[in-house]
Amino acid sequence: MEKVKIALLVIVGLLLLVQVVDRSRQPEQLAAVKQSVDELASAVKRSASTDADVVRALERLNASLTSGAVRAPTTDAPTSDPIRDGVPKLGVNFLKPVDWSPYDPAKVKGTLKYFELPPTTLNDILSNDLSTRTANGHFNSALISVDPAAPDTDCENLATSLIIENDYQSFTYRLRPGLKWQRPNIAGQAKFAWLDQEVPCTAHDFVFYLDIVRHPDVQCPALKGYYESVDKVEALDDLTLRITWKRREYTNLNMSNGMTPLPRHVYTRFEDGSEIPAAQVPVVFNQHWFDEMKQGIGVGNYRVESFEPSKTLTFIRDPGFWGPSMHFERIEWDGVTIQPDAKLVAFKNGQVHFYETMTPAQYKSEILDGGEKRFDREDGRAGPLGWERIAGIEGRGVYQYFVWNQVRPLFADKRVRRALAHAFPKQRIIAEVYHGLGSPQISTISPGHPYQNKDLVDIPFDLAAARALLAEAGWADSDGDGWLDRAGDGGRIPFRFKATYFGPNVTLPLVFAIYRDQLKELGIELSLDPCEAKELDRRQDDKDFDMMAGGWASSMSVDYEQIWHSKYADQPKSSNYGGFKNARVDELAGKLRLTFDRDERIAIAKELDAIIYDEQPYLFFISRAYLFVWQNRPDGPDDKRSTLDGVITELDRFHPWFNRAKSHWHLRRD
Amino acid sequence: MLAYLLRRLLWMVPTFLGILVINFGVLRLQGPTLSEEMDKSIRNDGARNADLVATGVENYLGRFRSTGLDLPALVNLRGFTDIDDVVALLRATERGPAVLEHERNRAEKDLWLMGRLLVEPLAAIVADDALAELHGPASMALSLCAYYPLNPEDLGRLTPEQQRQRQTRNHALKGLRIEYANTREAGFATTDPDAAGKRAAIAAFWQANREDFARDGATAWRALVVETGFCDFMRKLFTGTLYSHQRKQWVFSLIADRWHVTFWLNFASIAIAWCISIPLGIRSARRLGTFEDAATTNVLFLLWSVPSFFVGTLFLHHLCTDTSTGKAWFPNRGMSSEGALWLSTPRYLLDLLWHAFLPLVTLCYASFTSLSRYMRADILEQLRSDYVRTARAKGCAEDRVVYHHALRNSMVTMITLGSGLLAELFGGFVFVEYIFSIPGLGSLLLDAARSNDAPLVMGSTVVSVGLLLIGILIADVLYAVADPRIRSRYG
Repeated sequence: MEKVKIALLVIVGLLLLVQVVDRSRQPEQLAAVKQSVDELASAVKRSASTDADVVRALERLNASLTSGAVRAPTTDAPTSDPIRDGVPKLGVNFLKPVDWSPYDPAKVKGTLKYFELPPTTLNDILSNDLSTRTANGHFNSALISVDPAAPDTDCENLATSLIIENDYQSFTYRLRPGLKWQRPNIAGQAKFAWLDQEVPCTAHDFVFYLDIVRHPDVQCPALKGYYESVDKVEALDDLTLRITWKRREYTNLNMSNGMTPLPRHVYTRFEDGSEIPAAQVPVVFNQHWFDEMKQGIGVGNYRVESFEPSKTLTFIRDPGFWGPSMHFERIEWDGVTIQPDAKLVAFKNGQVHFYETMTPAQYKSEILDGGEKRFDREDGRAGPLGWERIAGIEGRGVYQYFVWNQVRPLFADKRVRRALAHAFPKQRIIAEVYHGLGSPQISTISPGHPYQNKDLVDIPFDLAAARALLAEAGWADSDGDGWLDRAGDGGRIPFRFKATYFGPNVTLPLVFAIYRDQLKELGIELSLDPCEAKELDRRQDDKDFDMMAGGWASSMSVDYEQIWHSKYADQPKSSNYGGFKNARVDELAGKLRLTFDRDERIAIAKELDAIIYDEQPYLFFISRAYLFVWQNRPDGPDDKRSTLDGVITELDRFHPWFNRAKSHWHLRRD
Repeated sequence: MLAYLLRRLLWMVPTFLGILVINFGVLRLQGPTLSEEMDKSIRNDGARNADLVATGVENYLGRFRSTGLDLPALVNLRGFTDIDDVVALLRATERGPAVLEHERNRAEKDLWLMGRLLVEPLAAIVADDALAELHGPASMALSLCAYYPLNPEDLGRLTPEQQRQRQTRNHALKGLRIEYANTREAGFATTDPDAAGKRAAIAAFWQANREDFARDGATAWRALVVETGFCDFMRKLFTGTLYSHQRKQWVFSLIADRWHVTFWLNFASIAIAWCISIPLGIRSARRLGTFEDAATTNVLFLLWSVPSFFVGTLFLHHLCTDTSTGKAWFPNRGMSSEGALWLSTPRYLLDLLWHAFLPLVTLCYASFTSLSRYMRADILEQLRSDYVRTARAKGCAEDRVVYHHALRNSMVTMITLGSGLLAELFGGFVFVEYIFSIPGLGSLLLDAARSNDAPLVMGSTVVSVGLLLIGILIADVLYAVADPRIRSRYG
């Protein structure tokens, strides 16, 4: 009888549980239904006005084609024009025309899923986060884009022409006609019906962007710093924008070109559509309702479909986009999977299309040691799961270095620094510690960059040469104890130094273990000095270190002043960590900032690189390679139409990890 | 009983405040100082940082003012600084052969960010001919201390006229800076050809804005406690305006967004752990010295010694991973399948169970040991007591002796252990969330702590402390129910 009672109680309990859960799910289900209905209503409303819009759009397109502002989609590559080659020139429109050739509307399909941590906000003025900028890159556009095949040349984008005047201080952009702001997701709700309308994107939206960025009450200190030397920004008419800078500097061009429009019709209004008093707009901008509702709009090739900060972000292709876009119908960012093991398993289970941050340890266990049979160990492209080593974006690698503190007498001598470079077995370290995931870094410019000085060859591992250089610099084992020493204040000074590095880094101790053995052969004592981030910052600021390990990500924009100019050598918080001083470098770095001719700039950069290579203020050691793994089977994850082989072809064209050579497969391999 | 309850409730107030003060203090102590925070922001902002330090400090003031980081943590003595104190602060920012740059840099930032209460002595220094070498740095500090970046809260508090007036004043402040050099060799030296003109302008500025910046005794005493980071935090807490500037979201909506996953997972794991451990403990105690008791003890300690993150990773790789030959047994991430919202409720529950199974096992297996051992020890103690012997002598059945007499008296320990359960429901298990990709509170709070997101850390502390105190109150009530001595003491 007791057992029957218990069984009955359990059954009743389960029924109650089902009932409670059922009720608790109803609001969520209703909300989802309501959202779908709103979206449907909005779509119906839009389609009702479509016919008239289509006629107007065709008329506009026709006019644009006639005026040359827009090129018709074509499969031909853009024609070569000596003026419009993308290299900045005074007084003429030098922008390369839009390249429509890789775009084929018939190929548009599928959803691309990958690991990318969504930002906390989509407002890229208030957030300096890389993730926010990447997201904005999908749903918004800049005035000018760069040609991925030649990343130091400029192409048409939102602007169809750019005229540089006033000795590179004034930039006049002509905007593409017919640009329209995307409608936000909330536009379907009755409360936000005022947003459910077609709003043109004009030069005034760019002026608004700069007005907001430069206003003292807007909390964006970083951007303010970049635009502080803007003298004037004007909308000459709806389609013409002019930016004038106070000083003539090469960096002004990139800063002007990278500007994106800011939706004035949203950020100047309260939630109910009423206007915010003009003086309050910048203050309200810091905590605007549009951002708090997790919305974001632009004039890019995708629009935001849904956004949960730090969790998920999905984009859907915007059919109203003016130009050639990626071929994916949707893009999904997965920010929930963070832990490396969880990422690997999610990839192996086919939940994402690719994974580009596999760790060296995973590479070894899964591929080199054959832990995962679906990877073909010999031929990365042959197995159901593909793999490839990528040595970074062309010219934009991430590399690691050791900086010598040149303020200390130990490293003030160039010969000593060169000897220490000779004692570093780069190839062995890359093979043994990084399992081949990297290539030697020789100088400040990454391989593949047009400014790279290819005459420079890596300093070979050569202990005999190191010994000779040290002897030349006065270092000898005078007391026969096996360690080098030299005369100094108060007697003989032994050659011993500490390697300061970020403590939690587990790879560097392995690197130092190998380096320490080589240095011991020379009679130099190396000890480790791991530090927490805060202490590391302090040491860096006070130049309180012998040698410090660090890393840089090199960009396409080449500027030597910040890192190498002597004026920053003694300045705290500057990026000249080692206290490097060289009069010729100062002169050339200043000249580079004021030089606009591409060939001249390349020549200056090469000379700068040669001096730095000769001086060896840093020991550049590895340009990190990444392991890119992808689903290489026709039955891809969730969307069977979008085969992973197809995804790679798509990425080939659009994903920044790939260069744009016109072959089917052209990852830059080690 | 009512007196007992009241007494307990009243004790909760100072306990709650005390915990908050300690937490806030610790957070401020271990977190970066304001100057470090600013240096970090400038460094993170990259490129032109070296120039920014000198010219763009006011750009950061708005950010710090919004977070209350510009105020001292618990006591504000800025209203009591006199000219000599401020001269000493200015001297600490001077370069010299023996001066450590990082200390000088910190002193400079701290001074620049001290706010309106320092404007009066700074203006007096600029007006003093005898302190000519300090006119430059004092004018720089004054221009920043007097700077009042508007934030959205001000829109409701200040009239449009006042807002405009502050914006205009901010704009004019930059023009008041007397240029100066600060070198290691010579220290401060005024280099501005228009120094006299700017001194006159500062004097005029002081006269025009005396009302806003003048300090009387009342202002200083009011600032002592009220204008502090803690008061700012408490005000935001009680007005529900605690805002995470890093995440651009209200703190409590962030917590609410993630809480339910953590709550259900923790609730289920605690329920399972207790439902298994208590009978296991009782059974072990009743079979003391047998092979079963020894085996149970050994197995439980074996489980206890295996770290959960290791077990979780093993589960992930071996039970949740597709192989070349087949599909995984369990899902590797999340708490439900895609489209689960539209499944029928029984199927939805099964799906939930399927997803939650491994995270639950990982979460609760280690608790079996401690809980069951507590239970076993308590029951054993009770079974050896006189009243149990008496009950047995009366002829009570063994089950009745154990479950009616011994178990009830063992409950005091379990109530004590249970007092923290409510707070545990709120706390996340970071490693389980990371390994099984469950977006819960644990990972959110860990990220907040790592990134020094003080409002979020404090917001979650408030909720956690609140739940802990409620748990303790419930335990106190249960003590009274279980122990007649407490009831009789309070009538």
